[in-house]
Amino acid sequence: MKTSIKQLAISALALTLFTACSEGDDPLPIVPVETQMVQDFEAPNDVIDRTTGTIVEERPFQYFSLEQNAQVSEGDDWDLAFKGTTIRVNATKNVSAAIVTGIFDQIDSVPADASFASDTETELAIPTGGGNGWYNYNPALNTITPIPGRVILVKTTEGNFVKMEILSYYKGNPPVAEIDPFTTPSAHYTFRFALQPNGSTEF
Amino acid sequence: MFRISLIKITITAFLSLSPLLLWSADRIKVVDAEGKPIVHALIQVDNQKPVPVNAQGEFDIQSRNSEDRILVFAMGYETMVLSAEEYDALSVITLEPNQEALDEVVVSATRTDRSVEDLPMPVTVLSQEKIQETGGIRLSDVLREQTGLQITSEHGSNLQMQGLDSDYILILLDGEPLVGRTAGTFDLDRISVSNIERIEILRGPSSAIYGSEAMAGVINIITKSGTQPKTLNLGARYRSFNSWNPYAELGINQGNWKIDALYDYFQTDGFDLTPEVVGQTQNPYDAQTAQVKISGDISEKLELSLFARGYLENATGALEVNAGDPNQRLVSLDNQLRDWNFNPTIRFKPNEKWLLSLRGMSNWYSTLADSRIQNSEEVFDLQGFDQFFHRTELQSDVQVNDQNLLTFGLGQIIETVEATRYEDKNRFDAGYFYFQHQWNPSDRFNMISGFRADLHSEYGGRISPKISAQYEVSEKLSVLGSIGSGFKAPDFRQLLLNFNNAAAGYYVFGSTIAEEGIQNLEEQGLISQILINPESIGELEAESSWAFNGGIKWTPDPRVSIHLNAYRNRIENLIETAPVARLVTGQNAFSYFNINSIVTQGIELDLGYTFRENLRFSLGYAFLDTRDLDVLDQIDAGKLFKRDESNITTLVTRSDYGGLFNRSRHSGNFKVNYKERATGINLALRGIYRGKFGFADLNGNLILDDPSEFADGWLSLNLTASKSFSDRINLEIGGTNLLNTQTPNQPNNPGRIIFAGINISIFEN
Repeated sequence: MKTSIKQLAISALALTLFTACSEGDDPLPIVPVETQMVQDFEAPNDVIDRTTGTIVEERPFQYFSLEQNAQVSEGDDWDLAFKGTTIRVNATKNVSAAIVTGIFDQIDSVPADASFASDTETELAIPTGGGNGWYNYNPALNTITPIPGRVILVKTTEGNFVKMEILSYYKGNPPVAEIDPFTTPSAHYTFRFALQPNGSTEF
Repeated sequence: MFRISLIKITITAFLSLSPLLLWSADRIKVVDAEGKPIVHALIQVDNQKPVPVNAQGEFDIQSRNSEDRILVFAMGYETMVLSAEEYDALSVITLEPNQEALDEVVVSATRTDRSVEDLPMPVTVLSQEKIQETGGIRLSDVLREQTGLQITSEHGSNLQMQGLDSDYILILLDGEPLVGRTAGTFDLDRISVSNIERIEILRGPSSAIYGSEAMAGVINIITKSGTQPKTLNLGARYRSFNSWNPYAELGINQGNWKIDALYDYFQTDGFDLTPEVVGQTQNPYDAQTAQVKISGDISEKLELSLFARGYLENATGALEVNAGDPNQRLVSLDNQLRDWNFNPTIRFKPNEKWLLSLRGMSNWYSTLADSRIQNSEEVFDLQGFDQFFHRTELQSDVQVNDQNLLTFGLGQIIETVEATRYEDKNRFDAGYFYFQHQWNPSDRFNMISGFRADLHSEYGGRISPKISAQYEVSEKLSVLGSIGSGFKAPDFRQLLLNFNNAAAGYYVFGSTIAEEGIQNLEEQGLISQILINPESIGELEAESSWAFNGGIKWTPDPRVSIHLNAYRNRIENLIETAPVARLVTGQNAFSYFNINSIVTQGIELDLGYTFRENLRFSLGYAFLDTRDLDVLDQIDAGKLFKRDESNITTLVTRSDYGGLFNRSRHSGNFKVNYKERATGINLALRGIYRGKFGFADLNGNLILDDPSEFADGWLSLNLTASKSFSDRINLEIGGTNLLNTQTPNQPNNPGRIIFAGINISIFEN
């Protein structure tokens, strides 16, 4: 796996950090929210034999901690687990998620009507299926593409809010037109997220 | 003359010579039936250049031999051939109007014989000549050259009319419906053009007489019906990709009985646009059509006819599986299609004003797709599909008086289907009634109104009304319009189909079995991803539409014809396939859903200009605008976004939206028909333009909203040259897509095709 983590926006927000906090009517300190980019987080699906229909090789989920901005193992405090197009949230650690529609950069707080849910036996907080959760399946091209305008909100193991946008399912984050569903390696997530570490709903 | 007439309009071809015998003079005058000079007439003596007549319609022949024939031509009139002796005896030549052009009969629009001139709805009739000039072998070859029609590649050759797919177009063979569709597409390649007398293209909904499916329009293929005592035509066509089409047509017309028979064989090696991948774009296949039509008069009042047809198709191919044992990855495909029709008809005419028709129609359609692993001969996949469709219909036409013709019809349908993985044979029953009033209160105005009531064992009742009218503003200009409703019930396929196209590796499940089908695939481990929870697939509703068609027929000059039609269809509860699961092969399993509603609207224009009797130009243009109203709602609600290559997300606006996929906003054609008199060679040059169309979503939101998602427009230049020898032998040679334009986003375009053909009439007529 090749995971490169970049800090995208170490912004000038630090300047406004203390000045915005006037006269103490807001008890929470405002912490700069940085947008992190995760590239080519690899989470391959099980290998299935088309002719026999059996799983030839079962692959493990790949775990990610938004709090640590790092890949972790199953025993750690992970927030999200990926395998193929499926994304689970850590239900045992009360991680929950909601999907909202909008432009990532313009979502500056958790909307009041966002309905957070955790994974259950029958339902995932981030639903699978084209058009349902985070991606569209294009039957004409056989490609999986993140739905533009879908932003996943996550409440982490620490109870902090994260806004997250998946940008690509293919290695190297190629433009959609350049994806060949048979040759471009899939199950390589590129996503960006911003975590509000102070527990507030503002980003 | 009745404009609407129960009695079949006879096409009289006034070929008989009726020269007015006066005294001989040097100058001879060409006149019409009223004695007026025909100033655009041309005179040709054998092996000489044709000469125009003068402004008084007069001419004089300087030199001729006693064996020479003299031809007199004029646009809109029957050509007259005179021997030198006859010519010498004349001073005035009277040409009869070309009756065939005036009295073209159309059956499909009203289910009665009716002159095309008087029809208040948009109808195009393709004569045998028009069919031949395309050099086509299969029906798709002919229809792709017509204004407003597109042939796209979706589970076969899919016809698009008024922006709607094959699912909404009823295909009739001699007035009886043809069944057997794959994912809604009636593959037009199943119909050979041999033995076709004419094709009627009726646009706009016709559910008021035909019921389900006739939403965008109707294509009626009329087979030949012998007029000669005996005919035997042998022919063969050859074209690129080793396509080979020998055929034989037999016609006998003796006493009260007529027999017409056809045997047609077709085979092609297919073509491959992606040679780097195992398996061809079009697999090699062969097809055989055998057809017999027998009709006869039992008595003056009773006519009987029987029609039988058999069609057999075999396709072979290969595909490579992406996973598993490397030695077991090549799969061979063997697909068979069988289609049988049997239609007996009795027509009883107790008196001049009353006609009763009892029609039976049975169609057996079956497919078998057998896929085996090449190295082991093990069955990879085996799918069968058997459909039976039977219809009994009684129609009564009553000519109340000159102005009123009433039609009543009553029918019953039995449909059964049996397919792989169905435990039971499924059966539907339906009954229907239709009524139509053709009203012709004056020479200038006529109106057709009617409705049909359908009662279905699964879907209850449905009433489909339609009203059409035409007003003749002047001799040159008619205005016509119609409003009608159409519907399409979910069929067996949409409810029960369990289809695997082994060639492409996809599955299609009807809505009632999708859950079970997906579960089966899942148990076999063939599913990599569930895309839509099959439990959430609800009951399908019938699709229904309202449509308006309006236009003009204008002849500003006898040489010019202008036909214009504007339409708007609004369809609710449109049923479309959508993938429900992704397979481990990367292919999909599909099922059916009611997609909210769509609108298709447009304008179709046909211009014809006869420059000279032997030179004709025509121009066709179609404008098409389509939209999914659900998508527009999402755009208006600010819920649809797009993301560019720099990951900047923006809202999709209405002006970004490009409508439905695979529709060209602009399309058109130009045609030049030229007969070279010296050699007798007929040339038909056609340019068929398909404007840019959306081929795929490339920015992740599944709708058409980005310039990169459109395929370029392209022009197919087609040319056919044909020549008859002594009326017995006809040769043709030509090509389609002569510029060899490649269109990667239109997989049914193999590139340039060259063809040659011969037809021999064994008996002289």
